[in-house]
Amino acid sequence: MKRRLFIATSIAAALCGCAPIGTALNDNPGFHHFLGLEGTLDAALLGNTDGLARQYSIADISTHFPVDSLPTPTSSSYERLLEDGFRTYSLLVSGAVDRPMHFSLSGLQRMAQQTQITRHDCVEGWSAIGAWTGVPLRHVLRLARPRRDARYVVFRCMDRDDQGTPYYESLDMAQAFHPQTLLALKLNGRPIEPDHGAPVRLRVPTQLGYKSAKWVAEVQVVASFAHLYGGKGGYWEDQGYEWYAGI
Amino acid sequence: MRYSSIVQRLVYRYALLTRLAHWFGAIAVAVLISSGLQIFNAAPYLDAADRSTPARRVLSIGSPAEGVGQTTLFGHTFTTTGFLGWGSDGVGGATARAFPSWLTIPAYQDLADGRRWHFFFAWVASLAWLTWLISSAVKGNLAEMVLRPSDLPKLWPMQAYYLRLRREPPPHGTYNPLQKAAYTFVLLVLAPLIVLTGLALSPGIDAIAHPLTVLFGGRQFARLWHFLAMVLFVGFAIVHIVQVATQGFFNQMRSMLSGWYRLRDHESVGP
Repeated sequence: MKRRLFIATSIAAALCGCAPIGTALNDNPGFHHFLGLEGTLDAALLGNTDGLARQYSIADISTHFPVDSLPTPTSSSYERLLEDGFRTYSLLVSGAVDRPMHFSLSGLQRMAQQTQITRHDCVEGWSAIGAWTGVPLRHVLRLARPRRDARYVVFRCMDRDDQGTPYYESLDMAQAFHPQTLLALKLNGRPIEPDHGAPVRLRVPTQLGYKSAKWVAEVQVVASFAHLYGGKGGYWEDQGYEWYAGI
Repeated sequence: MRYSSIVQRLVYRYALLTRLAHWFGAIAVAVLISSGLQIFNAAPYLDAADRSTPARRVLSIGSPAEGVGQTTLFGHTFTTTGFLGWGSDGVGGATARAFPSWLTIPAYQDLADGRRWHFFFAWVASLAWLTWLISSAVKGNLAEMVLRPSDLPKLWPMQAYYLRLRREPPPHGTYNPLQKAAYTFVLLVLAPLIVLTGLALSPGIDAIAHPLTVLFGGRQFARLWHFLAMVLFVGFAIVHIVQVATQGFFNQMRSMLSGWYRLRDHESVGP
């Protein structure tokens, strides 16, 4: 009996130890950093593959597209934009470019439009299919002519969390020039609603939803994002999520 | 007692790489299950569809009210307070939470860290699996383990032995027919399926390999299969651990630690 008790106790101890040991290791900065190797490895393997996200048909479009982001901006400047139907909205393209530019909403609407029916994959696990119409980001970037030292494109947004920290995201040049990376103006044929990021929302269908920044105000081409906010290249990245969001 | 059972017939059963692969794999799988439950908690439901579709919800775990946990499986709702839907938050309180803190890594709710653990140990498990596959194929262990048509008639006699309906197990080689069936299914069917359904969840993988995601019915469906494969793996792990504990624990542990296994009467070496 003693032998059986020993066997049962050691197996039970091994199983019960799993979660507490994991949690203790998770709180160890060195080990936590070591685990981050997976993100580096996945980005190296997949970060610059040029596959296209799957296109769906109109029949596949989700009847309900969830809203799952920081709250819709309530600032007076955003309220004013809403009141005048975004006529005074201006998208700034700045940074390491030969020609810094402003794009009005109607200016973006007059450019060649692309419509993609693609699936939006949230990091939390849900997915929704929508028809997004807008201007491929590469068309806008080509007009501004990124300089030789340009490595990343940073998207500065109008939404803030409850601490006042603004949302931002970033892509490398290859991801920014991906043919499906879109400055979306319409969802399912109608101008994007405020909750979905009006008037301009980024769409990156080859990566998780947190890359598809809402309420984009500025597209800033940079050589490095290390000096921005938490230095990890995005609002959620600064909170521990992987910069490469294809997994 | 026959002479053969008195003489200790020690055989070198597991190559070093196989043993390393087993223990790295075991730790990795334990981490993958608990960090996977952490990830599941961020969207605690499973849909039999490509995109999220509440009408095709197979499983959901939630908290309809403060202090109440509910699990709905195929439309049948069960109260699961204290285990599923409502329980410990891992930092001293109670909260709405699908899987409880003692089953997840980290214990508290943190999707970013759960993903970090999951994807790191997905690499560990995959490399351990590949190491095992190559080393056991080279050393001949794989051939001894794979279920063959000639093993099928022995499956029931072996089960009858475990159920004590039969005094002696059917004669067999290194592994008995039920072990062969279990190991073949888990290592050669389930393990690859878990990796593939996991990959199918990723938009970056979907973009370079549409057929993979399509094969499983889309992203949410892949999530369902990934979860189901995990449940099957847990079922295997329970049976496996019970078998190790009851079928000569010290002999079994020694063999997976040092490689040396003491054969019993009805056992021999070979396929």
